[in-house]
Formats: sequence, structure tokens, C-alpha cells
Amino acid sequence: MFDRLRARWLGVVLTLAGVVAILWLTATGRLGLYVHPRYFVFTAVAAVAAGVLAIGAFALLPHTEADDDHDHDGEGPRTRAGRLWFGIGAVVLTAATFVSMLLLPPSTLDTASVQSNEISDTAGSLPDEQTTELVGSDSTSFTVKEWAALLRQGVDEEYTAQNPADVSGFVIADDADPDNVFFVARHAITCCTVDAQPIGVPVYQPDWAESLTDGEWVRVAGRFEPNQSATSLEPLAIVPTAVEPIDEPADPYVY
Amino acid sequence: MPSRRATAVSGRGLLIGVVLVGAFLTARLLSPPQAFAAIDGALGDGITLALSVIIESLPFVFLGIGFSIIVQVWLPEGFLLRRLPRRSLPRRLVLSVLGVLLPVCECGNVPLARGFLMSGLTVGESMTFLLAAPILNPVTIITTYEAFGWEDGVLVSRILGGFLIANLVGIIYSRMPRPMSALTPVFERSCSVDHSHAPRGKRLTRSAELFAHETTAMLPSLFVGAAIAGLIQVAVSRDVLVTLGSNPLWSVVALMALAFVVSICSNVDAFFVLALGSTFMPGAIVAFLVFGPMIDIKMLAMLRTTFRARTLALVTALVALSTLVLGLAVNLLV
Repeated sequence: MFDRLRARWLGVVLTLAGVVAILWLTATGRLGLYVHPRYFVFTAVAAVAAGVLAIGAFALLPHTEADDDHDHDGEGPRTRAGRLWFGIGAVVLTAATFVSMLLLPPSTLDTASVQSNEISDTAGSLPDEQTTELVGSDSTSFTVKEWAALLRQGVDEEYTAQNPADVSGFVIADDADPDNVFFVARHAITCCTVDAQPIGVPVYQPDWAESLTDGEWVRVAGRFEPNQSATSLEPLAIVPTAVEPIDEPADPYVY
Repeated sequence: MPSRRATAVSGRGLLIGVVLVGAFLTARLLSPPQAFAAIDGALGDGITLALSVIIESLPFVFLGIGFSIIVQVWLPEGFLLRRLPRRSLPRRLVLSVLGVLLPVCECGNVPLARGFLMSGLTVGESMTFLLAAPILNPVTIITTYEAFGWEDGVLVSRILGGFLIANLVGIIYSRMPRPMSALTPVFERSCSVDHSHAPRGKRLTRSAELFAHETTAMLPSLFVGAAIAGLIQVAVSRDVLVTLGSNPLWSVVALMALAFVVSICSNVDAFFVLALGSTFMPGAIVAFLVFGPMIDIKMLAMLRTTFRARTLALVTALVALSTLVLGLAVNLLV
């Protein structure tokens, strides 16, 4: 009995849990915590279609058993012990899915564990043509991602002198000069959160740790100038005119 | 009249489905945000990463199951098989570019390939499709071009490499004396059942049945694979991989390992690896872009529903060695 229930309904129940979770995230504007916005419409439409199919399965399948010539013990073991373990696994998986998708609140990636050497290795992920197009745009609308891409490509000092920066992100100490330089960083998402890469721009502010902590969210305004730090590896850094703590934004990632 | 009974809608079944949705929605809406405050740090990140893999993959899995249902239930019997060349080599060549018509990424290709196997394709042919389609489809090609253009031969190497490796694996499995032994016994049995197309009146029921069957096969594997991928992401520092980036051999191995762990969708993996372009050699980038769409943690978990562990180990070894050779060749030639 339980084997038949598991074989026939496990996928449909997991589908409904996933569908409810996705549609709730979409409705509350939090789907971006897990996937890139380019997938929002596709994800929601596919979830609705799958929900209809799952409900359809409930509505249609109970009437087919008498006609059924297929093996509904399905893709599982034949021995009694094997079926028992499969059954326990199905219960554990369903419970874990229920808790993680339907009970746990949506959450963002931990910011305190990011290291500055991760940033310098992966900074900037825009194709060269898109980076070139940035020059000439309004720099005050640039996020950390656009500035990181420009710095990585080697933007000249004349440009940075004329174009102020106003960015927000979380704080990461620069390992090369942790007393005087920190990064304002964000996680950049390419596809989904699993590919998140920290990107950031350096800020030169001596003794910044007296007023800020690692992982704290801040807004920084200022201009990029040649980095005054003697040990930092970053050639340019923001010399801030304002650094103010902020709450973590509802959409903390850049895409 | 069985067919009339089969297509009748069960009010009780419908009610159970609706009640279940209502219960899930109620749980979601009433869940107290602070109840799980203790789950943070690495554990919290692991759960977030696993959920992101699941939420990103689920639509593609549903799409693949949808295509599979269309192929098995709604298209005329033999519709696909009749249009394929009869000789095995050109047949596999056509199958390896079928992704152009069915642009589903690798997650969706697994249920689709299962549908092809049930519809009569051989193991070698399905394997060729399974490995080639995530790379040889328009979305993947366009995004790779947007990321790299013609630079360092990355795009050309990816297309040619994916095509050649998929056909190499297809040839090997088509020459095995008992290719069906590559399948799990249960799936082999289900392939041997007469899957002739259902009468028109039963198609809805058969579609619902296939949906229930395929989601039961795919989703547990996807969820477990996503959990493993999320936990490994938290446990293994990328620093270890990135420090190997400038060595011709180790850079290729490191990015293949990264592709295996990250399990990123082939449609956008080019943008992900673009960020590593300055750290890693071109051959390593190509290896990432060829190996990842064919083999990764999430894919292996899903493929295990269909193929024996021994088969997957052999395919993984074949694809890994071929990709390694490809990556080294690109590093030496470019």
C-alpha cells in the first residue's frame, strides 16, 4: 500500500510543494533570492503548468488502476528491506522538502564569510563590449558590478575624476591592508545563487574598522583616486565623502 | 468501457489535490520567520544554495517532462523515429543536433532522453542526444558567443568538442554487445513494456500517469543532487581551484572539478566562467563549458534513475578524459 502511494504520488506531492514555494516567492517578490530575473517569467509559467498537471494527476489517476498494465512499484527495489529503506528515504525527503521550501524563511547568502582574495580573483564579469558601453553612461547609476568591470578593464584616472561613485554593498576587509582599505561588495548572480561570486570595489578609509564591521551593509559615496595604501594591491580606490550603514536591501544581489 | 472510465475526472482526487495545495500554502503563509533563526552561517548557505539549484532546475525538468509526454503520448506513433536516418552513424549525427529543435538544458534532457528510450531509441542514440543537446542548442551557442565571441576559439572548441565527445560515447555504446544492460533493471523493464500510443480517449490519463511517474523518478534525485551540490559548495573553497589556474594541466582539471560541483545550467554557464577568463587558460574555460553540461553532481543523481552506476562511472570517465584532452589541446594550440 505504502509502496504504491510512494511510487505513484511522491513526485506529484514534491511537485506541488515546489510549485507553491515558487509561486509564493514570485508573488512576494523574493524569487530573485534564488534565480536570475531573466528566469522569473519562465519559472512562474512552468510552475503554474506543473501545478495544473499535478492537480490533473490527482483528478485522473485514481480511476485508472483497474485498467493499469504498468508497474507502479516503479523505480525501486524488489526486496522487502530495500522497499523499507526506500520508504524511509521518501518520508525523510518529503519532510526535508516541506521544511526547507515551505517553512524556512527565504534567506540570502552569508556576507561575513567572504574573503577579499575571492573578490580580486573574480571581479567583473561583463563582456568587454558591455564594459566599453559603460563609459559615457551616468556613473551615479552604476552598481558595484559596473564599477568592478570598469576597474578590471583599466579605466583611466581622468574618467574617474569626472565621474563620482555612489554604491552600496557589504563590507569586506582588504587582506593586503586591512587597517586602511575595505571593499564594498555584492554577490553577482549569473544563473542562480549557487554560482554567486563576490565582486567589489576598494574604499580607502584609514581605521575604517572603528566604525564598521565585516559583513555590514553600507552606502559609500566618493570618487576613485590612486590608492594611497602602501600595501594594497588595488591601483584605484574610492576616497569616500560619505559612508553610512544601511539595512540589507530586499534585493541584495547584482545580476 | 475502460477508456471512458479512464478519462473521467475524480472529484475526490481533485479535492485531495486542492486540499494539499491549500495546506502547503497555509504552512508557507503561517510559518513564523524567527522559528528557524538558529539556521545561519554555513548551514544556512548550504540550504540556500541547494534551494537555488532546485528552483532554477525545476522549470527545465517540467519542460523536459512535458516534451517527453508529447513525444510518447501525443505525437503519432513513430513520428520521430521515422524521420531519423536509418543508418546508425548519420542517425546519431542528427540526434546530436536535435537540441536545436528542443532547446531544453541538461536537467530537462534527462526525462526527454528517458522518453526517447521508451519510444524505441537505442542506448547509444539516447546517450548521444543526452550529452550533445545541452551544448548544441541555440541558447547555449548564443550565450557563449555573447560572452566570448570568437576569442581564443572557445566557442568553436565548445561546439566541436561537445559534438565529438557525444558521438564518441554514442559509438562506444552502440557497439556494446548488450547495450540495454547499461540501464537499471527497472527502467529496462519499463522500456520493454508495450508503449504504443494510447487511444485518443486515454491520452489525458496517460499524460497524467507519465507526469506522476517521471516526477517520482526525477524530483527525488534532483533534490538529493542539489543538496549535495549545495553542501560541497559550502565545504570546498574556490580558492583551492582558482590557485591552479595558470598551469596548462591543472587549470583544466580545476575547472572541470568546478563545473562538476557548481552544476550550473548550460544555457548561461558561459557568463559564469567569463569571470574566470583572466585567471584560467582558454583550454580550462573550454573544458568547463564542455564537461559541465554533460556531467555534474545534479545530472549524475538524475541519470541514476535510468542508468546503472557502472554505466555512469564509465561515461563520466570517458567524458572527463576526452574533455581533458580537448582542454590540453586548446591550451597548446591557442
